[in-house]
Amino acid sequence: MVDVQLSDAEKIYILHGIQDNCREDGRSCEDYRHLEIESNVVSNTTGSARVRLANTEILVGVKAEMGNPAPEKPDKGRLEFFVDCSANATPQFEGRGGEELATEISNLLSRSYDCPSCFDLSSLCVLPGQQCWILYIDVLLLECGGNLFDASSIAVKAALFNTRIPKVTVREDEGHTELEISDDPYDVQRLNVQSVPCIVTLSKIGHSHVVDASQREEACCLARLMIGVTEKGTITAMKKEGSGSLDPASVEDMMETGKKVGQDINISLTCVLKMEERQGVKRQTIGFLR
Amino acid sequence: MPTDSRRITGPETSQSPHIYQKTNGTEIVLIDENKKRQDGRGLGDIRPMFLRAGIVSQARGSAYMEQNQTKVICAVYGPREIARREEFSWKGQITCEFKFATFSCLHRRQPQQDGEEKDFSVQLLEALEPAVCLHKFPKSQVNVYVTVLQDDGSALAAAITCASVALADAAIEMYDLVTGCSARISGGHILLDPCHTEEYRSEKDNTVNNGSVTLGLMPSLRQVSAVTSKGELEFEHVKKAMDQCLEVCQKLYPVLQQSLIKSVKEKLEMDKLSDCHTT
Repeated sequence: MVDVQLSDAEKIYILHGIQDNCREDGRSCEDYRHLEIESNVVSNTTGSARVRLANTEILVGVKAEMGNPAPEKPDKGRLEFFVDCSANATPQFEGRGGEELATEISNLLSRSYDCPSCFDLSSLCVLPGQQCWILYIDVLLLECGGNLFDASSIAVKAALFNTRIPKVTVREDEGHTELEISDDPYDVQRLNVQSVPCIVTLSKIGHSHVVDASQREEACCLARLMIGVTEKGTITAMKKEGSGSLDPASVEDMMETGKKVGQDINISLTCVLKMEERQGVKRQTIGFLR
Repeated sequence: MPTDSRRITGPETSQSPHIYQKTNGTEIVLIDENKKRQDGRGLGDIRPMFLRAGIVSQARGSAYMEQNQTKVICAVYGPREIARREEFSWKGQITCEFKFATFSCLHRRQPQQDGEEKDFSVQLLEALEPAVCLHKFPKSQVNVYVTVLQDDGSALAAAITCASVALADAAIEMYDLVTGCSARISGGHILLDPCHTEEYRSEKDNTVNNGSVTLGLMPSLRQVSAVTSKGELEFEHVKKAMDQCLEVCQKLYPVLQQSLIKSVKEKLEMDKLSDCHTT
């Protein structure tokens, strides 16, 4: 993670605040910071979204390309996650500096999407065994303000909601098949993101745990639990991170909180995305992208 | 994946013949009517375990572990000076490298670490870090290398156990050992220590409540140092699986201790012998 320097006194201040359920910015332990979502922000993509969570800024672009399905899954498409920690965010990411964090984020994302019941990959199949859609989901980190995992997963879900893949018709012509891609911008296929998970990170600080830790809070935390939670309240991926260890009872408590918060996020995210879509072109731009 | 240009790779598009194997249209039955698994184990039974410390003679510490057909070897080097000196730090560093031998799985693995292996390396590191007294060796690092020689399921759990024994064998000061255990969740059933055919694979298990949980525990402190899950699961099942893994981890502890005692005894024996020769 990106380092901030904190003195012992500052750490104790944060820790005591969390003990009393009042964090340094006035939130309670289960509150998120202000979140901005905007989709359809990059014109050359099949789907895109920008998320700003306080100081964390993330841009996601989805590109759909045709390719061969993996031989062990001939009737399914593929998702390829790639995270780019841009040096714009912090000079520590220069060169290969951000690679470790980037693979960590993309690994957790692909793990939490890797279950057929939450994301239907067979809808990406065009011709079984021959052609399928491969969705390249590229996450670009523009600013780091803590809680990168949650913000990226929200941005990915928003971008997938926004994704519109052109319709393909398969024609059988004298023994060989022909693919025809529709050029009508309204003749598109959309993805079902209803049961796609969002990642919730719970940071253990002192004896309590908080969601959506800021950068300063992250510096006080030794162990985190990350959970991919769906709208139904199921777990799709879980991971402990950090150099500390956790008590079995507190793991259970954290999972309980994660489930509750994760369901809330999923529900309000779906609601916001649908609202934005209804506004259509009349939507106001809030971010720097227009 | 970036490829190594200096290495001559095989044909790029070769496939393991196993994916073309006919499955006879029937699904693999994990549990039969007598609540027994394919290999005759009950749901909560784990496979017999063989563990031995001090296998690689030139490493500072090492361990070898078998659980039937899952075979893992681990070597620990260090503490030594950090090669690329960065800033001064009071805390020591651990690095972990997890590798499947190219021939260890059904399909051939590439010589370079792939995404899954990198993911396992990080998980292994995070499982071991809480157990090691890092402040005891400032500005130096310990390297942990784990190679899976044969993979028949639960490789990560085996790697965690094996690596913690190897660290202790290298006389690195630790708060506790770490034991690992995996569980497969299928429907309402929890199968402990799954073998390869029982492991969760996203391409064949389509329904909710199919997945796996891996847990790393420091038994005498009763602290969870690693926990991961795969597949879509309900919370209740994850909790149940974690509790069962916890118990198994606790039970494995004496096995780890025994292997360390044996290794220490052997080392003392060796020292005595070499003393005799010098005097």
